[in-house]
Amino acid sequence: MSLESESVDTDAERGYFGVTVPTRYKWLAIKAVTVLVYFLMLLPLVVVVVNSFNPSRLGNFPPSSLSLHWYEEFLSNELMHRALTNSIIVGLGAALVAGLVGTVTAMGFVRKKFRFKNGLVIVMLSPLLVPPIIVGVAATLFFVQVGVPRTIWWIIVMHALLGLPYAFLIIRSQLYLFDESLEEAAKTMGAGPITTFREVTLPIIAPSIVTAMVIVFVISFGEFTATQFWVQRSTTTVPVVIFSMLRTSISPEVDVLATIMLVVTITIPLLIFGIRRKFFGR
Amino acid sequence: MSSERGQGTALLDRLLENDRLQFLLSPGLGILWVVMFLALPMTVIVVISFAIPGDFGNTIYEFTLQNYQRFVDGNVYHTIVLRSLWYGVVTTAIALPFGYTVGYFLGRSKTDWKWILLGLVVLQYWVPFIVRTYAWIIVLSNNGLLNGLLQYLGVIQEPVTILYTTASMVLGLVVSLLPFIILPVYVSVSTIDEDQIHAAKTLGATDFRAFREITLPQSMPGIVAGVLFVFIISAGAFLAPTLLGDSGKRMIAPVIESVFIIDFNWPYAAALSVIYFVVIAGILYLFNRRIDLEEALETGAGR
Repeated sequence: MSLESESVDTDAERGYFGVTVPTRYKWLAIKAVTVLVYFLMLLPLVVVVVNSFNPSRLGNFPPSSLSLHWYEEFLSNELMHRALTNSIIVGLGAALVAGLVGTVTAMGFVRKKFRFKNGLVIVMLSPLLVPPIIVGVAATLFFVQVGVPRTIWWIIVMHALLGLPYAFLIIRSQLYLFDESLEEAAKTMGAGPITTFREVTLPIIAPSIVTAMVIVFVISFGEFTATQFWVQRSTTTVPVVIFSMLRTSISPEVDVLATIMLVVTITIPLLIFGIRRKFFGR
Repeated sequence: MSSERGQGTALLDRLLENDRLQFLLSPGLGILWVVMFLALPMTVIVVISFAIPGDFGNTIYEFTLQNYQRFVDGNVYHTIVLRSLWYGVVTTAIALPFGYTVGYFLGRSKTDWKWILLGLVVLQYWVPFIVRTYAWIIVLSNNGLLNGLLQYLGVIQEPVTILYTTASMVLGLVVSLLPFIILPVYVSVSTIDEDQIHAAKTLGATDFRAFREITLPQSMPGIVAGVLFVFIISAGAFLAPTLLGDSGKRMIAPVIESVFIIDFNWPYAAALSVIYFVVIAGILYLFNRRIDLEEALETGAGR
């Protein structure tokens, strides 16, 4: 990797405290920090994937040999299957709900004039500001008070809430770029709001809705801190199962589950963004 | 435009031409969602925080200040809140220079690897916190990768305790939160006009001066957004302190969880949540007076 941008003048310069450091050494230091940071970010992921093939129960690292033993265990573990299915259902449900709610809400914020708009934007973004532990406790007490049974819907509705600010922001930024005269044209030709939305607006903002839904899925799929309060045995999700396994014993079975999570959470966005690029060209 | 419209669509269209109805749906639906599932629950915990904790997880609905009294009287809980904020500050202070350096590198470098390197940062966002956090157990534990390596190299004879300390927790937090600084800083830095920097240098500015007067001010939006997210998430972190931290130095989120689940004391868990929320809201209020909170949130959440 050759880096020219910062090293246009290679002359040593007047440094501070009487120390002179040539520009290219500074750039070298920046590169060194970058390499260190990438190493630290990738190391945990590599370690988890490698350790999922570790036959030893204690999971000493590095493994002395590699095997699919814990993957076989996973295949026969019904709790884990249920957790994985639940996580995917919740993720898809939250993505659909937040995609829908995010779209109509962003439309309103971009197209309409109303009072307290700036304050209401902060309201829309507030799920980003309340620590998840508090969201977890508050929603549990609320649903228990209201008497909502602890079903998977509870989790879907709350994950949609946690993903909503992202969906809102992503779709809104696309709407800002939207040429409103297209909608005006449709209206002039006699189309009502629904038809205009379906035939004109939706096709143009569809890529951002897809992005928003993928992001909400990813957030939902990995959420633990708030979700731990909302699940019960039949509605448990993968992060909750991983956490409870960590509390009891750490065997490479955890790494198998984590590796599967890793694969799902990386391939789904890549796949969908790939398809999106093919269809919309961006 | 389709020539035939279904009758249902026609009816909906006519309904939606009514401005008030339209407002209720758009933008009303999203606001309603947040009010229903965040504002109302927050109100409920405020109410419950003034109720009396009964035996076996019961809540007795009589007004009391005893939960807040308990917080005010004991030193333990102040310390926990202050410690959480302090660890949030420490994490942010460590993550900022490292994250800024990488964001700056990605913004200025002309390497062909740039898109792969950027992709790897985005990928970090996608990987759940729980996976990125517990992986450090395998690396740092007594029979883990690092101790094994150090013993193999003969640096140490016996395993040294690295895991379950504040250092290992801060390491876990910093690494998992770095993308929140890297990406916004990258976005800010990459939009800076390089001609400005060249012009400054031509006029005799040193590298450092050019950085301080041109690059740094223009990357402020990225820095602000990154700091906001890293601080809020790390101060309220649950996983890193629970899985990697020193159990003698507890942070607020694990404490709220154990009061709620183990002590089964819902009113006190509610009171602690309310207190911590008020502290965070106060910090955000001060933050909002200096900077545009909406812009910071938009920059920080823009994945």
